[in-house]
Amino acid sequence: MLDNGKISVRQFRVLTILFTVGSAILVIPSILVTDSKQDAWIGVLLAIGTGMFIIIIYNALAVLFPDLSLVEIIECLLGKWIGSVVSLTYVFFFFYNASALLLYIGDFMTTQMMPETPIQPIMILFLAIVIIGTRLGLEVIARSAEILCFWFLLLFVVLVIFISPQIDWKNVQPVFESGVKPIILTTIHFLSFTILPLITFLMFFPAHINQLKNARKAFITGSLIGGIILFIIVFLSILVLGPDQTARQLYPSYVLAKKINVGNFVQRIEVIIAIMWFISLYIKMTVYFYGSIIGFAQILKLKNYRFLTFPFGMIMVTATIVMHPNVVYIQTFDAKTWPVYGLTYGLLLPLLLLGLAVLRKKGSRKRKLQSNSRS
Amino acid sequence: MWGIAGILLIALLIIIFEVPSLWKSKQKKELWVFFLLLIFGVGLSIAKSLAVNIPNPLDWIIAVYKPFSDAMMNILK
Repeated sequence: MLDNGKISVRQFRVLTILFTVGSAILVIPSILVTDSKQDAWIGVLLAIGTGMFIIIIYNALAVLFPDLSLVEIIECLLGKWIGSVVSLTYVFFFFYNASALLLYIGDFMTTQMMPETPIQPIMILFLAIVIIGTRLGLEVIARSAEILCFWFLLLFVVLVIFISPQIDWKNVQPVFESGVKPIILTTIHFLSFTILPLITFLMFFPAHINQLKNARKAFITGSLIGGIILFIIVFLSILVLGPDQTARQLYPSYVLAKKINVGNFVQRIEVIIAIMWFISLYIKMTVYFYGSIIGFAQILKLKNYRFLTFPFGMIMVTATIVMHPNVVYIQTFDAKTWPVYGLTYGLLLPLLLLGLAVLRKKGSRKRKLQSNSRS
Repeated sequence: MWGIAGILLIALLIIIFEVPSLWKSKQKKELWVFFLLLIFGVGLSIAKSLAVNIPNPLDWIIAVYKPFSDAMMNILK
């Protein structure tokens, strides 16, 4: 095994929460509200419900292969050559996701906080801590998630409490104005940003967690808590900013934090609140980066994965800029192509693998029975 | 020019940092993979700093998924 780290169920749950929240907390209110205006929150609730079924699929896959990673499962089921090709596309999927997050953080910093700094230094600095985390291994990532999660939740509670006086219930009315289809689109968008990327966890999920049975529960509760946090953020954005304003902003939850004003005294604390998404983005990006590197090392059957981090990081900085030429390109990709892309890798392929695995198991059992009866 | 020098310097630092331990434990395959990836990274970065037009892999993904994403958007609009 490349990384001998084992993490506890609690750490796994915390990782799941932060990963689910991830980049979505920054960008998702605007995408969802563009789809279905003030009814976006209904779509989020639907998506959390559907998401649980997707997690059950991942759990089923994990139970069938308790000590293999996703890449090894693919190789076991699809054979060496086809398996390697599919695994490589998975590695690219993780790599692309990590680079998208790197762009979010760079773009967020350069547009909102440091407009005169070029984007590359911010990306390199952020990638540096991601590389440090990846080199130190899964145990360290999980422990840092455990520490950072407290601050994340604290800042989240501060945001919710301080913004609550400005809630205007008129903003959600009329309820159900947009109809069924836009709400389904909202659901798909929400799933593709939060639940479907959790496929990355199968890179270490069954093998590196000390209790499989409780970990399956933690997977579900963790994504549920993450989903609820996002639901509150989306709901608050609609309630405070209103659907038009939310749809127009690039980072609605940052604008939400700007609106905080308690007694004309506690105001403009958005930079402190912004630490919240640095934490969640960091954890999400580290898990993606770790997943892509572990996957790559497992495809090539390397003995060690740490030496890959620097070359991968170097490629990633350039690839991020190449892959995301401008904001419009990113937004069209996120709204149109990404849901289908995410569904293929997060739902379609895992279902295919699960089906194959069940068929194989049945086949092998039948063969065993036949050989037993013959003897 | 300075950009290219910086990229090469960083690549050199990475080599100094990583190669000795790989060399000592005689991990030949790992060394090959490391150098291929590093050369790819350096080449990509230099090409970008010279403003060469690099093909965007996301364009291919968009092209592959276009029928499906269009269908989704049409059905759910």
